[in-house]
Amino acid sequence: MPPYESLNYLDIDSLLSEEERLTRQTVRDFVTRQVLPVLQDAHRTETFPEQLISEFGKMGFYGANLDGYGCAGLSEVQYGLLMQELERGDSGIRSFCSVQGALVMWPIYTYGSEAQKEKYLPRLATGELIGCFGLTEPDYGSNPSGMLTKAEKVPGGYRINGNKMWITNGSIADISVVWAKLDGKARGFIVEKGTKGFSTRLMKGKFSLRVSLTSELHFEDCVVPEDNILPDAEGMKGPLSCLTQARYGIAWGAVGAANMVYHTALDYTKNRIMFDKPLAAYQLIQAKLAKMVQEISKAQLLALQLGRLKEKKRLQPHQVSLGKMNNVRMALDCARDARDMLGANGIIDEYPVIRHLLNLETVNTYEGTEDIHLLIIGNEVTGLPAFR
Amino acid sequence: MNIIVLIKQVVDVELNIRVKDGALVEDGLNYVISSWDEIAIETALQIVESVGDGEVTLVTIGPDQAAEALRKGLAMGAHKAIHVSDAGFDGSDSFAYAKAFAKILGDRDCDLIIAGKQAQDTDAGLTAGMLAEFMDLPQATNVTKLGQIAADKLTLHRGGDNGSEVIELSLPAVLTVNDSLYEARLASLRGIMQAKKKPLETLDLAGSGVDAATVGIAGRQTVIDQLVEPEARQAGQKFEGDEEETTKQVLDLLVNEAKIFA
Ligand SMILES: Cc1cc2nc3c(=O)[nH]c(=O)nc-3n(C[C@H](O)[C@H](O)[C@H](O)COP(=O)(O)OP(=O)(O)OC[C@H]3O[C@@H](n4cnc5c(N)ncnc54)[C@H](O)[C@@H]3O)c2cc1C
Repeated sequence: MPPYESLNYLDIDSLLSEEERLTRQTVRDFVTRQVLPVLQDAHRTETFPEQLISEFGKMGFYGANLDGYGCAGLSEVQYGLLMQELERGDSGIRSFCSVQGALVMWPIYTYGSEAQKEKYLPRLATGELIGCFGLTEPDYGSNPSGMLTKAEKVPGGYRINGNKMWITNGSIADISVVWAKLDGKARGFIVEKGTKGFSTRLMKGKFSLRVSLTSELHFEDCVVPEDNILPDAEGMKGPLSCLTQARYGIAWGAVGAANMVYHTALDYTKNRIMFDKPLAAYQLIQAKLAKMVQEISKAQLLALQLGRLKEKKRLQPHQVSLGKMNNVRMALDCARDARDMLGANGIIDEYPVIRHLLNLETVNTYEGTEDIHLLIIGNEVTGLPAFR
Repeated sequence: MNIIVLIKQVVDVELNIRVKDGALVEDGLNYVISSWDEIAIETALQIVESVGDGEVTLVTIGPDQAAEALRKGLAMGAHKAIHVSDAGFDGSDSFAYAKAFAKILGDRDCDLIIAGKQAQDTDAGLTAGMLAEFMDLPQATNVTKLGQIAADKLTLHRGGDNGSEVIELSLPAVLTVNDSLYEARLASLRGIMQAKKKPLETLDLAGSGVDAATVGIAGRQTVIDQLVEPEARQAGQKFEGDEEETTKQVLDLLVNEAKIFA
């Protein structure tokens, strides 16, 4: 296959600064060298390639848009490009860094005490510590505000009871940022691995995001010290604002996945001869390629505009919803078309397409399903909430 | 150990390159650090890291955009950079560049000057050798392995025609490196952000102290007469059918057309 290049149909590269392009190229080269070669095996064995954890840390991928505490201090567009290039490799790889950065480091950075920041952030930035984010419960997915997990004040700390499900990195995490209701209000708690009453169970048998570990978290009279509550987050705004950060990254990440399947389909159909001509010479194939070019180009502009708004601190959660929803759906459609265009090769793991297609089903579901984002946008434009 | 690395920004040869009317079509081209020069940066960083002190300074002569190559090198970990940029250098050949570098580097304190063994675009491999000559420094080209590093000398392996030569050089010296020496590191994201804060000195012709008469068209000793695209390779021929028959055909062509025994 020719060297990977992302689609630049509208000369979007010219909208990026030199530093942004260098960031993109650096992560792209890293993914080519260190991530792509290990994906097939990781995907087959449903494991996360653990040797990457410290490599990501050395490269500065964790919490990369935060300042200080050993974080790289990237701009929001640079951060988006990081997510894009990671997800060109695999959505599970991007998820690993998204969770660590947007869902673990960001809440500690934003809602944590100075002592919590100093205790955890530098080691999360290097990958010495791994974190997870526990919000979803068996009976509360799209509606996390109904969560049943409860915290009660006890002498010296808080006692947590409840169950979380579908938690990325749950069973390998050194610390979990867990959301539970204290006096009826959602609060965030940092639960360290090994705390009495806290256990995890790895969930096996996923057909999607197989390169990422997903777990259940169980809390049975689990007492965490007083210092482990995030002091500055009260109510659903806490976890939801974390989701906005992660969704922003996903809006970019999906562009990476779409680019990869497009790149693969383009190369494949130019070289595959059927009925005496390359597949790419047929109108039906060209229509699919043209559609991908059209949709990827729009998605690139959308992600970039979200980034520029975020840099100006003007980005609204409902705008992020539009980006997450559109770009993931777009990537999923590209992956489905690409899978078809590769024929039988579209279902085997010699090519990245089926893996991306399967992954994107998760990406479409987590961090707010497509439906939920439609409802958020609907609420924004009508002022009439239709969630229930 | 203070090291100067000469780097050149070149067109990314992995991507589409077109020639039109005897000149490169600039549109849509991507520029990168010549790959051997990236190895030179890596080598310098490895030496400074292993010795435990010293600085790596990058130097390039090139247009405004060549500063990008310097900033990338700084992001990889180099400490400072010098960018010599002036239209007066346009049209220089290796000889003129070597003269200019000799002038620019003449009064700078350094223990080693390292460059790639050749540039990725011209494949000439002349500048560093001539520079060593003009600066009256010992040199080793095509370095494939480093050995002992002391304050005043260095042992290394170089790829020669008849095998690997082990050489001891007194310092300061000039080295050019082979791509088998190291794999160039990627910049880290922290490195990219720190690069902005590192010193990057920009000099024009006058500021560089280089005599205008020794560079550009006036100073060059060679001229590129023509630039032509390489001829497209002819498609191969496929032989199908009876094995004995096709073997005969192929042998016949090899002997009588390709004249492999002639
Ligand atoms: C691989 C993976 C990793 C994950 N990682 C994490 C993690 O790290 N941390 C975490 O907290 N969670 C995580 N999740 C959970 C994820 O966020 C939830 O799965 C998601 O929010 C959807 O919840 P649910 O699965 O309960 O689906 P449900 O909420 O039951 O939704 C089922 C369907 O009903 C639709 N629906 C729901 N409500 C409405 C409505 N009001 N109107 C119309 N349609 C509606 C949905 O759109 C969906 O199509 C992960 C999930 C997966 C698959």
